[in-house]
Amino acid sequence: MTVSKAFWRIVLKNIGTIVTYTVILVVFGSINMNSNSTTTQFEAKKPTVVIFNHDADGALAKSFVDYMEKHTEISDEYENDDKLKDALFYETVAVAVDIPENFSTDLAAGNNPEIHMQSSAGYVGELAKVSVRRYLMMAQSYASLDLNESELVAKVEKALSKDTIVEVKSKVDSSKFLRAATYFNFANYSILACVITIICLIMASFNRLPVRKRNLVSAVNIKRMNAVLLRNSCIYSGLMWLFYLVVGFVVVGFDNLWNTYGLLFAINSFVFCVCATCIAYLISKFVQKSGAINGIMNVVALGSSFLCGAFVPAEYLPAGVLTFAHVLPSYYFIDANNKIIYLENFDLASLWPVILNMLIMAAFCVGFVIIANIVSKKKQKIA
Amino acid sequence: MKNVIEVKHLTKSYKAHKAVDDLSLEVHEGEILGLLGPNGSGKTTTMNCILSLLKFDNGKITVFGKEMTPSSYDAKAKIGVVFQEVAVFDELTVYGNIDYFCGLYIEDKETRAQYVADAIKLVGLEDCTKQYPKQLSGGLLRRLNIACGIAHKPKLIFLDEPTVAVDPQSRNNILDGIKKLRDDGATIVYTTHYMEEVEILCDRVIILDRGKIIASGTNDELKALAKIEEKVTVEIPELSPKQLSGFEKIKNVSEVEYDNGVLKVVYRRGKNNLGDMIEYLKENRINYDKIFAERPTLNDVFLELTGKELRD
Repeated sequence: MTVSKAFWRIVLKNIGTIVTYTVILVVFGSINMNSNSTTTQFEAKKPTVVIFNHDADGALAKSFVDYMEKHTEISDEYENDDKLKDALFYETVAVAVDIPENFSTDLAAGNNPEIHMQSSAGYVGELAKVSVRRYLMMAQSYASLDLNESELVAKVEKALSKDTIVEVKSKVDSSKFLRAATYFNFANYSILACVITIICLIMASFNRLPVRKRNLVSAVNIKRMNAVLLRNSCIYSGLMWLFYLVVGFVVVGFDNLWNTYGLLFAINSFVFCVCATCIAYLISKFVQKSGAINGIMNVVALGSSFLCGAFVPAEYLPAGVLTFAHVLPSYYFIDANNKIIYLENFDLASLWPVILNMLIMAAFCVGFVIIANIVSKKKQKIA
Repeated sequence: MKNVIEVKHLTKSYKAHKAVDDLSLEVHEGEILGLLGPNGSGKTTTMNCILSLLKFDNGKITVFGKEMTPSSYDAKAKIGVVFQEVAVFDELTVYGNIDYFCGLYIEDKETRAQYVADAIKLVGLEDCTKQYPKQLSGGLLRRLNIACGIAHKPKLIFLDEPTVAVDPQSRNNILDGIKKLRDDGATIVYTTHYMEEVEILCDRVIILDRGKIIASGTNDELKALAKIEEKVTVEIPELSPKQLSGFEKIKNVSEVEYDNGVLKVVYRRGKNNLGDMIEYLKENRINYDKIFAERPTLNDVFLELTGKELRD
């Protein structure tokens, strides 16, 4: 009871640390969430096209212009001069098409007349060129059937009127959970910082040689005292997890987390909290000065957050960095968060990649505890 | 007299260096035993061995009639320790620290509150209970260190140089507190290299050097070991060589030293040495400013036994 009371008094003395990292999480996490937000609504914009038609009487040329009018925005503001070149350079015009004289006759006769095109450098220019080529290829295909001009126009227009229907089969709107994933990814830093700092500071206070000697000569079994400290460390980590979960509900929105995805995020972050506790336990065996604890915490928390994609999405990180990040538990935590948002089913096969990441974090926990105990025993032998 | 601690043939080595060498001692119930010796003489190592903080190579240690081991929790419940280093939590207040260390022994909340209040009163920290250790001066910090060690009212108290780097006021306060603990029935083992403290406090003294006991007994018994009986110091502004040689002929004088206007005369034996000296000065018309006599100190005993000063 006495040891537990001292433990929580020291936690309360360091409450400022917890508040600081929580504020960092809420402020920067929110900024991150908003910068990563996506929209499901968009407005199709047609590319602006300039057509110089030198075959105004031709049926096929007229049909081509009609087709382009349907799929693009035809502008008649430009002449074939420097003003047009500027418009193409600044991408206000996607493509300028020059229909030659006798275009319709030549095309119907199967002579493959050449259409001269000038396009802007961007992808919109390429898209506009694709529209032009689509018409020409279609017309050239039918021209080989020996049809007259009006029959050819009818065939081409019929063929081009067919639209390809694209259906998105995914039932999940992953953008809805992207905010949650961004929050939990950013929480990687705050969880590590709060758990490592507080647990290491408490362990350092109890393990400082004079205090440790006084505890050793007391009437309390030192093994029992260590067990009490460990139990309270776990309770503290659990409370931090719960606290960040509640903060998550506030920041991300209740509806976005009160579902199966939210449950998976919660389980994943719980496993990571256990892992952070084991990291803190290991560090406390090596470091016992408060100044050094802050330094090491910054290296571990900031370092793993940067390397594993907590602050910057993993897809923007260099491959070498991500390869190195595989040796850090944060990588598996963040990777699991990113996988959760794309889950469509919750059967074992679908969940397995997420579960595997959690199992890897659990394996890290076991490894950290084993190393900590080896270090502890070696230190006892030296003493 | 009942022995609270019995140490027999204790040996503790750090590689080739013998920190404690075949040391045997007994601590009687209700006494203050002083462990006196220079730095590195084995005082703290002996204490740590008794407390089972250190494994020792040879010997047997009995506390409260039972062999002392790391799991002797019954014995540990009756022991209080004040270490040389200040052993407190920086994150807890003065009250919080005393309450924590007292709580390791006393579970009952009300009793503990009373004990903590008593400890605070004993060391005179009533005005600082809400302060944190970093806000305390060195002297107050030492007092807190003592309060943490004795708050649970132990029957046996180890005090390891509790007054190191403490101002005179705090030192007097601490020494008064220790006397009160003895008067309340505690047995105290007091390690120090300050002979003045030992002379004021201790009922019995053990002098250690290089891990061995070189002398033990009461203050008077130890001082009797010294070959000198008395030192008389006279401040004489001017003294001719002839006058100086005259002092050597005085009865029982073993040593005469004159330096910087101060004459030191060491007597082997005898009584009324100070009176004889005053008479001699009067007879020889030697003017003097001040004159005083000193009994031999434990430092003199140590000097005679080891050939070096206690604080070397």
